[in-house]
Amino acid sequence: MTHTDTPIVRVEHVHKFFRRGSERLDVLQDLTLDVPEGEFLGLMGPSGSGKTTLLNLIAGIDSPSEGDVWVQDERISAMGEGQLAHWRTRHVGFVFQFYHLLPVLSAYENVELPLLLLGLSAARRREQVLNALDLVGLSDRIRHRPGQLSGGQQQRVGIARALVTDPVLIVADEPTGDLDARSAEEILDLLGAVSKSLKKTILMVTHDPRAARRADRILHLEKGQLVEQATVV
Amino acid sequence: MKLLSLIVKNVGRNLLRSALTALGTMVLVLVVTLVWSVLHLIDLVTEEKSHDVKAFISERWSVPSRLPYSYASSLCEGAARADHPEDIHPTDAMAWQFYGGTLDPKNPSMKSMVFCIACDPRKVPTMMSGLEGLSATEDAELHRSVERLLAKRDGIILGRNHLLALSQKSKDGKQSMLEDPLGRKFSLSGFSNFKGLDFDFEICGVFPPGRYDTLAVINRDYYNAALDAYPPSHAGVPHPMADRSLSLVVIKVDDMQAYNRVAEQITTSLRFQNPQVKCETESSGVGSFLDAYRDLLWIMRVPLTLACLGTLALVLANAISISVRERRTEMAVLKVLGFRPGQIMFLVIGESVLLGLLAGFTGAGLTYMTINWGFHGLSFPMGFFPVFMIPINALWWGVAVGTGAALAGSLVPALSASRVKPAEVFSKVA
Repeated sequence: MTHTDTPIVRVEHVHKFFRRGSERLDVLQDLTLDVPEGEFLGLMGPSGSGKTTLLNLIAGIDSPSEGDVWVQDERISAMGEGQLAHWRTRHVGFVFQFYHLLPVLSAYENVELPLLLLGLSAARRREQVLNALDLVGLSDRIRHRPGQLSGGQQQRVGIARALVTDPVLIVADEPTGDLDARSAEEILDLLGAVSKSLKKTILMVTHDPRAARRADRILHLEKGQLVEQATVV
Repeated sequence: MKLLSLIVKNVGRNLLRSALTALGTMVLVLVVTLVWSVLHLIDLVTEEKSHDVKAFISERWSVPSRLPYSYASSLCEGAARADHPEDIHPTDAMAWQFYGGTLDPKNPSMKSMVFCIACDPRKVPTMMSGLEGLSATEDAELHRSVERLLAKRDGIILGRNHLLALSQKSKDGKQSMLEDPLGRKFSLSGFSNFKGLDFDFEICGVFPPGRYDTLAVINRDYYNAALDAYPPSHAGVPHPMADRSLSLVVIKVDDMQAYNRVAEQITTSLRFQNPQVKCETESSGVGSFLDAYRDLLWIMRVPLTLACLGTLALVLANAISISVRERRTEMAVLKVLGFRPGQIMFLVIGESVLLGLLAGFTGAGLTYMTINWGFHGLSFPMGFFPVFMIPINALWWGVAVGTGAALAGSLVPALSASRVKPAEVFSKVA
């Protein structure tokens, strides 16, 4: 394990419910969780258990109904939409199951997208984009559009896009869910390398036990509550 | 800059949809441009000027106006009295005598009719409205035509429609008459009130396309000589038009103050009481004439324009809405990456505005080229205006209409895109 004991993410007594008409759906119930800096955390659980909702709350793309979420020393659960957007650009990198690259942009341009919001010079952006693409092994594919890349390569571009702003936290929602076994292994190797060499804190939601085994620690959620914690040796 | 590049790429994402939307926009811009071109010219001529005011003097109680030719010289002087130095003189003036003849006396039709203004040819470039904005080439050709007409008593400067009518009549073939009309001769036989006044003419020039497509100009001396020569061959009886051949006098004065003075000089002069004359500014005269078209012009100006703009906004709104619906996930991804709602709106509105701007400019440009260069004006006979040219300003109208409608049409889809909630979108995707 490469992480410290200092929690970078603190989830305190979080409730999250949705309303469907008059019905209230409790997705997360009184959930408390600390994630130390540098940890590669796997979140598992059946569908509807609240994994993705928890990930969204930690990543600042949703807000808890009750309770608080802290990342580093910032209480993101109290931020407004504009503040959260600003915060996400600088602090969180996202890796999606279906990559979600913009089809009209090249690999280079997709990775550059979050940097456009940071007001960096073109030279600095170029340097960071090329570094990120080099890190994921796609230096020779920078002009390719998503449609010209395999699923594994697209996900690598997705990971490069998540890393390019040098965020403190990487969240990955089923990053291997749409890949064949071999590509999935390559992506997991890459995430493992990112965690170890760059000391990034990674939160990964997965249904795949093989993927979860790459994490430093696995949390199981069921009906919105943590039911088991396992540390992978 | 990079966001603009993303906007451009998004426009090109679904080329078929973008092309169809652009095509719809161009068609509606064409309609708006045509309508506004007609209204623009009418607004221009009915707008009261503060300098170089033109005024029409015509018979007060009768339409068409028929005044004795003896009125002409004094009216051209604004009825200024020799012993009243304080009286105002017009800066320029022109007397019009209308003459109507037909190319085919056996079978007269509207197509074979030629309406002529008998006048002093030197006044054509300065006193005939609608000849002010000619290109240098057209202006030079007009002056050459006037010089030829001055030199040739039986000369005529024709409108383009007459040339077409002559081409159909000519045995030389259409092409040669259209391409090389100068020096060609033809005859006109007077019709209606002008019966008995027949003329042989030689073509001295052709008016530039536009306002004078259906009018011709001839030498007043040639026309008046024919009126003078009429009695000897008709048992000493003068032609019915002999003493009422003056249709109109057009004068130009410095400003409205001078106009008011001259109008007073003319209307109070005892010389012009039988028949009485009236004096009105050109804009007022044209405006009175166009009163008959008031309802039509209102329909063109308000409901038709609004309907076109509304339809255009709906076409664009529909296309952008579909595009936004298809790309909700993409909008959510942009939000997750840190794009703020305003930036998402900018992207969506930018896409629509770019499409509207390009389509509007192209639509107006094509309309300008097709109507002005291809058809030599929009044939929409209304009063003194047989055709309407598309003004160069139409290019900006196209841009403004396309952009404005795109902006209006994209506001709701852009707002919807900016309100996309990533958590909801991704829960549906998963």
